[in-house]
Amino acid sequence: MSIILIGLNHKTAPVEIRERLALDDAACAAGLRSLVDGEVVREGLIVSTCNRVEILSATANDQIEFGAGRVTQFLDTSGQLPPGFLNDHLYRHTDEEAVRHVFRVASSLDSMVVGEPQVLGQVRHAYSLAVEAGTAGRVLNRLVHHTFRVAKRVRTETGIAASAVSISYMAVELGKKIFSSLKGSTVMLIGAGEMAELSAKHLLNAGASRVLIVNRTEATAQQLANQIGSATVVPFEHLDDSLHDADLVICSTGAPDYVLKEEHLRKATARRRKRPTCLIDISVPRNIDPACAKVRNVFLFDIDDLENVITSNIREREREAERAELIVQSEVMQFQQSLRLMDVGPSIGAMREQFQDVARAELARQRKKLGPLTKEQEAAVESLLMSTVNKISHPILNQMRRFYGASDADASQASADLFDLEE
Amino acid sequence: MRSLLFAVLAAYLIAAIHSILAFVNKRRSLQQVAQWSMAIGFVLHTATLIDDWAVDGHYPLFGQRETLSFLAWALVAGYALVLYRYQAQAVGAFAMPLISILTFLALLISPDSAVSAAKFSTTWLFPIHTTMLIFAYAAFFIVFMASVMYLLQERELKLKTFSGFFYRLPALSTVNEIATHAAALGLTLLTLGLVAGVFWNWSLHGQMWRNDPKEIFAVLTWLLYFVLAIYRSTANWRGRRAAWLGVFGFVLVLCTFLAAPLLGSYHVFGMALL
Repeated sequence: MSIILIGLNHKTAPVEIRERLALDDAACAAGLRSLVDGEVVREGLIVSTCNRVEILSATANDQIEFGAGRVTQFLDTSGQLPPGFLNDHLYRHTDEEAVRHVFRVASSLDSMVVGEPQVLGQVRHAYSLAVEAGTAGRVLNRLVHHTFRVAKRVRTETGIAASAVSISYMAVELGKKIFSSLKGSTVMLIGAGEMAELSAKHLLNAGASRVLIVNRTEATAQQLANQIGSATVVPFEHLDDSLHDADLVICSTGAPDYVLKEEHLRKATARRRKRPTCLIDISVPRNIDPACAKVRNVFLFDIDDLENVITSNIREREREAERAELIVQSEVMQFQQSLRLMDVGPSIGAMREQFQDVARAELARQRKKLGPLTKEQEAAVESLLMSTVNKISHPILNQMRRFYGASDADASQASADLFDLEE
Repeated sequence: MRSLLFAVLAAYLIAAIHSILAFVNKRRSLQQVAQWSMAIGFVLHTATLIDDWAVDGHYPLFGQRETLSFLAWALVAGYALVLYRYQAQAVGAFAMPLISILTFLALLISPDSAVSAAKFSTTWLFPIHTTMLIFAYAAFFIVFMASVMYLLQERELKLKTFSGFFYRLPALSTVNEIATHAAALGLTLLTLGLVAGVFWNWSLHGQMWRNDPKEIFAVLTWLLYFVLAIYRSTANWRGRRAAWLGVFGFVLVLCTFLAAPLLGSYHVFGMALL
């Protein structure tokens, strides 16, 4: 069996093409059923996300070209594109390359933001669709499970996803670094912009329990509060009165001057019994007076500080990605090996069966001549026969395994022929 | 039981190396190896102490060798508590090497003579005195480490430049809490240990205070940690100042610990460090 992967991603195709090919769950299932015919394309799986559409399939060794043609044709028709239109955008990988590609995608090495965690979930979802459609067979089952293992290894053994690489997520990262857990913490948003909204969502996901929204225009604040769900609107005049409640403050107003000054923070810190406060100022011009950082236990970050950290985090991720590639490389080799052994598995099993059948038949033929035997004696005779057969056949079977392991097709076929075996 | 102590050292070394690797590479699998070998080392170490007790006939905390070994054992127990309560694995990367060194030193020193120990084991006050103090020292070492971690991270947060350490150390609130709790525990143990020592001295010599350098340092240490504990126990978040106190306190602890052999003190029992 050969593995073929055909698809396109954010690097090879613009969004206009990707959106035409993107398939929802129902379309995926229907597509899989029509694509996988059990003859040419034996197994199939479709990964469809906003950044990639990829079709993973398994065909017989001598039908790679034919199978690849079918997959390409399927993509053309599902996107209602003229044949050949996708040629410049599609990549095609077979066997080892396909395996490597799948491993890299699931480990988030091929993502737009290296190390982002969603893609593994998307691959998992694609697999469950294929299982439901009944198009994941012997080869793809094994490949996908191995893929999950690789992705987990990459995640735990490298720091590829360890640090934040977006401004909205930096708030979560800094909050965790200071408070260890955001559970039960209070977040204050000053300004009700898009960035504030995104950060608030991340923080709520991370366990923050209360969101306070302060905005000059109260209607906008109310609108954002409704969107977020569990948020309280604080009138702008009362900012000073509720500042001490906030563990994290995210400031993103369009105000031309400082909204928070040193004396605000001094008062608030005293009121919150010197517990730390993390201030994040993503507005330009800045809305939080840099002098606030002088207050003990107040940590202030402006947009440049965050950008600096993010740049170094991205570099860190790239370094970690190199380590991840090494893991992928060794796992690809392991998988290829296990795939070859899987191919040889049935024929070796069959051969051992055959040998043992011969032994049992001979025993049955000669059994009468042995006369009455106790149970122990009976067992001893059988085990004597079986162990003799196994010991004699062991080097032969081992040799076959080696032929397969080295992918020496001729030699393994020859040994199968020798014992008159059919696959 | 020197051979058993070799096995203990081997287990601690494996734990130390894996803790450091886990710290550097942020790998959970390495951390698991570190924790398992630490657990094995601890069990063997406990067995060594019990065996020493049974063979020598006195509480296994008397001579220099026993003191070092017992201190290492107490530190493992302390680190295990920190792990259990706060999952602060990073502490291990610093504690385990020290524990290994202490165990190694204990192995280098030849066994102490059992003769002189006999007269001290007549009353149970002496073992209580020494045990409490050893555990207090272990607690103060943890305060020290947590304080250093706090200061380092607070500095980086203020300067907004994050080194490799930053991402590997426990959160600010976690180290603050570790330091607070360990200081309170350490002070309690220190108090009990000192009281037991005073009573022991009184029961043996009819005298409570000897003006010994070690005693003076011990009282200074007690005062400092008393201030630290009071300071930390108020409802306010105590960060930097308390952390500096934790660092200075440990310097005093070291002085107390080393005062006996260096300054010449009554507290030299068969080269003991207590």
